[in-house]
Amino acid sequence: MSLKLPEGRTSRALLAAAPWLFFLALILLWELVCQVFSLPEYVLPAPIAIVEAFFNVEFSRWLTHLWATLRVALMGFAVSILVAIPIAIAMMRSELLTRTLYPLLVVIQSTPVVAVAPLIIVLMGSDDPSRVLITCLLTFFPLVVSTATGINETPGELVELSRSLDAPLRRETWQIRIPYAIPHIFSGLRVAITLAIIGAVVAEFVAAEEGLGYFIQFSTSFFRIPQAFAGLFFLAVVSLLLFKSVQWIQQWFFPWSLPRKSGH
Amino acid sequence: MTTPATNRSFVTLAGVGHRYDPNPAIPSAVTGIDLDIRRHEFVAVVGPSGCGKSTLLRMIAGLLTPTDGEVSVFGKQVDGPRDDVGIVFQKPTLLPWLSVRKNVLFPLRHKYGRYSRADEKRADELLAMAGLESFADKMPDELSGGMQQRVGIVRALLLNPDILLMDEPFSALDAMTREQIGFDLLKIWEENPKTVLFITHSIAEAVLLADRVLVMSKRPGTVLDVLDVDLPRPRTTHTISEPRFGQLTERLRKHIYEPEAA
Repeated sequence: MSLKLPEGRTSRALLAAAPWLFFLALILLWELVCQVFSLPEYVLPAPIAIVEAFFNVEFSRWLTHLWATLRVALMGFAVSILVAIPIAIAMMRSELLTRTLYPLLVVIQSTPVVAVAPLIIVLMGSDDPSRVLITCLLTFFPLVVSTATGINETPGELVELSRSLDAPLRRETWQIRIPYAIPHIFSGLRVAITLAIIGAVVAEFVAAEEGLGYFIQFSTSFFRIPQAFAGLFFLAVVSLLLFKSVQWIQQWFFPWSLPRKSGH
Repeated sequence: MTTPATNRSFVTLAGVGHRYDPNPAIPSAVTGIDLDIRRHEFVAVVGPSGCGKSTLLRMIAGLLTPTDGEVSVFGKQVDGPRDDVGIVFQKPTLLPWLSVRKNVLFPLRHKYGRYSRADEKRADELLAMAGLESFADKMPDELSGGMQQRVGIVRALLLNPDILLMDEPFSALDAMTREQIGFDLLKIWEENPKTVLFITHSIAEAVLLADRVLVMSKRPGTVLDVLDVDLPRPRTTHTISEPRFGQLTERLRKHIYEPEAA
């Protein structure tokens, strides 16, 4: 149900094109500002210079950096799914476990990962495991919370239906509670996937020889600002595509979990 | 109001009460309920909100244990969930990820982990009886509220229970759908006789559907009156215009609006 006012005669084509047009207008404005005020490249590079810088870097180098970041982000994402969902299920089953674990989870969540990252690298070395761990520290909390919320929001009547059938708790969990949590799990996953990229980049900032975060950092330190911007935009596009992929997966495998589109 | 237990009693409640809070300052949800329900009898329960109607239903279902007295079915004390009970809730509570047919089969899959071709056939027969045969493969959100609740009823009938417990099943529906689904329920009940306990807020609905109407008081819920509905069956839209229908609903209204005078 939309609370927005009816758009009157606004055509659907315009509604669809609006974000793209706005984005294009911003880029043009940016280019214009750079040209008019002849801003030096190290202050604010013009969009054209950024595009140029992007193509000046060999494509295979882009792929190497992309793969390094993507690998860590996706591994961290996968590990935190494997950790967070069982923890959420276990917390649903046991009040004691919830009481024991929850404060620790909150402490981990409220500790700035950027501050902890160097310590983790010192402790575990600057290899994939420590980067994956840094990523996990960012991603798993929203997943635990959203999964637990979903599981707890199962309608009481369905739980009663299950009890009245004297069904095993295992089936109550798998046939009722977890499917009910799917919409919540996916909103957690959408948050987690973008955090996973942030985690991977943070880890690269601390210690790395490759990856898009590392690329941005060394470009900046050599004052290759347009190149740094090119890396930044590339990273943003990758992050956006991953976010979209999570949505596509939900649409494809769990179409019922999305609100039905209103018929117009 | 005490009725002595007879051999014909199917569901028996003897001095049944339930309190959620052990603190004696807080009144019980229900107290001192004596009731005998005959096999295949249709009993409606009316009463103000919070009078413990649902608590009563859950004790018969074995989902709640009475803190006083005893509930028994066919002479056997109820001490936990029973598989001869089907429950229909206020909301249809269908599973949004399953088709209508799979929702109907859900109790079997949930209880035993599987179902057979014969079960599928039975589900289709039940759906046809409720006029839903062409919706078997639809998803619940493609159905209207009334149709969803029909699926809820069909689901409760799948395991062929002796007892059908209905907790304000039609209260979320609009008035016209509500009347229609009431008559459909009667048709289903006449074809597959069940012992029905039907909780409702609607006096007219209680009189129209039931053999007996139980009037409950405010918390702590007790039985104020039991009204025999001597209207002939099958009941139809004409039943509503009969003078006897008016008299019975009038008597119930008195109980609910001026319990002291009744």
